[in-house]
Amino acid sequence: MKDKKTSKAPEKTDNAPARFKAGDRVRVKDLPNMFYSRTQMYARGVSGTIAARTYQDLIPEDEAFNRDGRLEQYYIVRFRQKDLWQEYPSEKDTLQTEFPDRWLEPV
Amino acid sequence: MQTAHKHAGGGHDHKAAPTVEEITDFEVLEIAVRELAIEHGLFTAQDHRRFTEWAESVGPAAGSRLVAKAWTDPGFKARLLDDGVNACKEIGIDWAEPTGFGTPSDYMNFRVLEDTPRLHHVIVCTLCSCYPRPVLGMSPEWYRSTNYRRRLVRWPREVLAEFGLILPPEVEIRVEDSNQKCRFMVLPVRPSGTDNWTEEELAAIVTRDCMIGVALPRRGRTADVHPVRKARRPVHSSPQHGKAAE
Repeated sequence: MKDKKTSKAPEKTDNAPARFKAGDRVRVKDLPNMFYSRTQMYARGVSGTIAARTYQDLIPEDEAFNRDGRLEQYYIVRFRQKDLWQEYPSEKDTLQTEFPDRWLEPV
Repeated sequence: MQTAHKHAGGGHDHKAAPTVEEITDFEVLEIAVRELAIEHGLFTAQDHRRFTEWAESVGPAAGSRLVAKAWTDPGFKARLLDDGVNACKEIGIDWAEPTGFGTPSDYMNFRVLEDTPRLHHVIVCTLCSCYPRPVLGMSPEWYRSTNYRRRLVRWPREVLAEFGLILPPEVEIRVEDSNQKCRFMVLPVRPSGTDNWTEEELAAIVTRDCMIGVALPRRGRTADVHPVRKARRPVHSSPQHGKAAE
């Protein structure tokens, strides 16, 4: 996917470099919520695999308060359902969801 | 029970209960901001009405056409999977409409999820209601319900079974929780027995539910009709029942 920045362009352009690529193992950080977050509790602390790099955009924590922060790389991360929910009955099933760079750390 | 229906003065002064429209804080906020914007001349009430009517008129037909075209044209399928927003232009759908940067909350990041006989995708937004509106229109009520949102990520097989879709254990189910700025749509597997069908005939069996991933397209299924099952323990209101309660 090409980057498609669409909403209003932020003033600052010191974009954070993309740290991960498809196939990398990452863990979702369990950071405190700064008033607003789109990082779901069920994924926090869980490890998964980068399925795709998507686009660069503001992080929700800034955007929610109309704050022009830096752009960050977003990724789609794939988890095993079994890793998200201990008693999940199938080994096979997966779940994907998206995170900006700062919520991820390398495993 | 009727016994509660006694009138002290003998008269019958029932007033019709007022019709109370349930309205959420967010709806109040939307009305307040909208009225301010109109007062300040950012847009007119007529602009707002026109936009609302345009947004409500978008249905899932564009999505059905994308799928039918992908099934019949391998080149288009490759372009659709590679760059969804650009491929949409080939069937006349511009994600930038009507503002130049898309409708509010429909960002221009569209990804099509390809099913295979061994992999089945289903979409949800656990935060609220992210949905590929330019190609599927407004989401159905149940898609936005907390019941669907919280249970689909946790128990996808059970929720799909409630829609009448029971998948064998060897098929991987992949839930796509779209809660940032990508919007997703499922490209189902083309059903057998449709080899000589035209794009129009194929599009007719690709219903909204097939593109959310809670149903599979098949010959003769051209509408999203969910199974209605009888309640296991229905509430009876037979006379015996009433007596026993007294």
